[in-house]
Amino acid sequence: MAGVVLENLSWKKLIILGVFLLVLLITFFLVGGLVAPKPSNVVTVLGTKCYDNGKKLNRSKWFVSRGIHKCEELQNLDPTDEMIVNKSITEKQVVFSFWLPGPRGGEERKMTPLFQNMLAVLQVDIEHSDKVPLSKNPVLQLDVRLGARDEGDDEDDWKQIASSVEDRNLQCTLEKGKGEGYLYDCELLQLFELGSISNHYYLVNIRLPVNFLKGYNVGIGKVVDISIHLIHQNGGFTIVWMSMKSVLFVMVLSLLIWFWRRIMQLGRPPNLLERTLFSLGVVMSILDCPIELLQLGVDIPFMLLLNDIRQGAFYAMLMSFWVIFAGEHIMDQTERNRLSLYWKHLSAIIFGSICLFVFDMCERGIQLKNPFFSIWVTSAGTKLALAFIILAGIAAGCYFLFLCYMIFCVMKNISAKKASLPTMSQLRRKYYLGVIYRFRFLMMATLVCAACTVVFFIMSQLNEGEWRWGDEDLSLEFTSAFFTGVFGMWNIYVCGLLSLYAPSHKTVVEIDSADGSTEENVQLTQLPTTPSETSALQALTSKAAQD
Amino acid sequence: MNRLDLLSLLLGVYVLLYLTSVADSIKWLSLAMSSGATATISSANYCDSLVGLVKRQRRICKKNLEVMESVKLGAHEAIQECQYQFKNRRWNCSMVDPKSLFGNVLKLGTREASFVHAISAAGVAHAVTRACSSGKLTKCGCDRTVKGPSKDGFEWSGCSDNIAYGIAFSKTFVDAREKKSKKSGKNAGRRLMNLHNNEAGRLAIEQNMKVECKCHGVSGSCELRTCWRAMAPFREVGAIIKEKFDGATEVKSVMTKNHPRLVPTNPQFKPHTKYDLVYLVASPDFCEPDPKTGSFGTKGRVCNKTSKAIDGCELMCCGRGYETRKRKVVDRCFCKFHWCCYVTCQECEREIEEHTCK
Repeated sequence: MAGVVLENLSWKKLIILGVFLLVLLITFFLVGGLVAPKPSNVVTVLGTKCYDNGKKLNRSKWFVSRGIHKCEELQNLDPTDEMIVNKSITEKQVVFSFWLPGPRGGEERKMTPLFQNMLAVLQVDIEHSDKVPLSKNPVLQLDVRLGARDEGDDEDDWKQIASSVEDRNLQCTLEKGKGEGYLYDCELLQLFELGSISNHYYLVNIRLPVNFLKGYNVGIGKVVDISIHLIHQNGGFTIVWMSMKSVLFVMVLSLLIWFWRRIMQLGRPPNLLERTLFSLGVVMSILDCPIELLQLGVDIPFMLLLNDIRQGAFYAMLMSFWVIFAGEHIMDQTERNRLSLYWKHLSAIIFGSICLFVFDMCERGIQLKNPFFSIWVTSAGTKLALAFIILAGIAAGCYFLFLCYMIFCVMKNISAKKASLPTMSQLRRKYYLGVIYRFRFLMMATLVCAACTVVFFIMSQLNEGEWRWGDEDLSLEFTSAFFTGVFGMWNIYVCGLLSLYAPSHKTVVEIDSADGSTEENVQLTQLPTTPSETSALQALTSKAAQD
Repeated sequence: MNRLDLLSLLLGVYVLLYLTSVADSIKWLSLAMSSGATATISSANYCDSLVGLVKRQRRICKKNLEVMESVKLGAHEAIQECQYQFKNRRWNCSMVDPKSLFGNVLKLGTREASFVHAISAAGVAHAVTRACSSGKLTKCGCDRTVKGPSKDGFEWSGCSDNIAYGIAFSKTFVDAREKKSKKSGKNAGRRLMNLHNNEAGRLAIEQNMKVECKCHGVSGSCELRTCWRAMAPFREVGAIIKEKFDGATEVKSVMTKNHPRLVPTNPQFKPHTKYDLVYLVASPDFCEPDPKTGSFGTKGRVCNKTSKAIDGCELMCCGRGYETRKRKVVDRCFCKFHWCCYVTCQECEREIEEHTCK
């Protein structure tokens, strides 16, 4: 009885393969943990308070926090400060200036395309003062500009990348018993996100214009400082990640070609499960394809969005594969092998994916136009975003219900078939044993992978949350290990499926000749349709009896 | 400005002659008082003109000219914070004069001295860290974890956070005074105490940093979360060190294996940890003026009639009683505020009752 490679593989070979894959997996883990640095790094830049001495508001002027074009700096924004009083400076003349990143080790540091993307969050330091109280739920309005410059450029040749007036809701608390001079504990505010880094230096200018009529920046308390925390991917991590992706890409692609050629050799059209498995391989290799490398030469701002889509497509494909795999192993006598039978499950997946896609387009898609945009900052946007996420969650819930029901059906049939196995003909028994073995093997592999993902995820989250003191005694970078390990694991999972669930050639002949049967290849999941066979009748009757 | 510079130069010479005792080790704090806050620091001469530095500190100053502005700012913040935290106590961190700062109070190894050491070491660390973050200092370190500094460190794995540099600089500069170990006799205990308290002050910053996190995985999910340390505001650091002041341990210096060591005076007490403040001599009561201890006395200090604590008239006036006066003050009220720079208020007159110690 022919089936897939898995059934006809001896234990020895299977164990060898298993060990090989395990070693590969551990390698990925160690590469992430030992070679790669943390996935991302944070640069904190404290804003320089610049004095805009122009008579009129000039939005096109850049205020630079250091260098030869350094702005006139205000030490203090206190109303009693000498300079503030002498020049009668108002809040309209204060510009917070940030040059990203900061100088270190005696030289200006530069951003590189290796950093892939960057995200800036804003921390507003508001001092508690009885004279300048903080009202309830105040809205901070930022008049913000983002400029960029390269190393060789003229010192004041900042090119504008984006400019916008953005509202952010301030949420601040102060512990009881803390009085004058203490800082409020304010939630971080998202400032901007860039999907590509094509310049060396970035400059952010922020003004907080007050408008009493419209209530902007009124009741925001006494702002003493603003700092930006810039999060970017580490160059080292990008290099390790890209190398890993390249290796995996080649691996998956070659296996995919081998798989497809094997199916082509069968001399029959591929069945649904084979086609699904092939698609899974294709989506995996698309995800693996290191197109991010292009960013090193070309400016591709939509890379973040593209990566989200690739990853989403992989999840959707994986879920579709599970449902089709389970469906094709149900072993009731209905004719399956058609995609249309799975419309319920697939539509749940597609609906969920579309919801997430729309959400992502709203967030990262709009960010392509305005990097300061975030769907979460307005209450309407938050509701919309939550609605999409909840819809996607419901779709995912439906899908898992379907999947669980299907697995339950398979399990039920498996136990029924097991009971009737002894009464079957050798051919049928082999066939069913094969089906059961295939199903159980995949089920176990999937559960192990899923469990590992969850465990690693929790571990890396815990690990990240608590700050390690004295970095030097810990040499394993767990967060990176989590990413390379889990990514490698699902690649190995797909590779394992492609190689083990490919149709088998070699053993078909042996078993067939032993049986003396002339039947050539039996499709992966279909019953042999020899109507004269008595055991088929037996199976049917036993099944009917059980029902 | 010129006159001030000359004055500080003279003072510098004076201080150099004077610097023989470890007990003066807080003298550098007078940096806070030297010339204008925005004086340009550009030449090595500047370091020689500064008051209250020892030779070793001068050397560090010349090597790290750009950092000195922050050191000055840190010293200034430390003094202000000290005065804020002690405003209700008999010793209110008041200064005798810009030269001798707190007078004789700190000559002895009292609790007050331990506080001033801790807060000033913390102040320098805090100010240098802030200056690093704002990009004013180019030399802030960029070494990172296991592999140490490498040329492409920033590109490969980013730099360590600024706090590391601030703390390290404070350690180099502030502790530089205490390194003299030639005469480890009588002053060894005091030196150990100062070093211990400096470190405790810096640890108060390190131990109270907030960890903040941001999720930025696929579609902004928490699949990828990055955390960083943020320094607590200096007011909070001051409050923490003040708490440590209240729970400080009295210690004495003993020699073990030819090395001086600090142990609690009362062996029944729990030994102090590196986070605690320690002192050698019990503080005077600061009730009466005493030039020997540097106490100003509490005569004329405003006290709180209703309080039973140290700011209450009973304790503050040391039982001498108090005088009550009524006076009119002009206060600002019905204010209209902006987040920055100005507050427009009306002036209201009201009468208050003020109690001052006899």
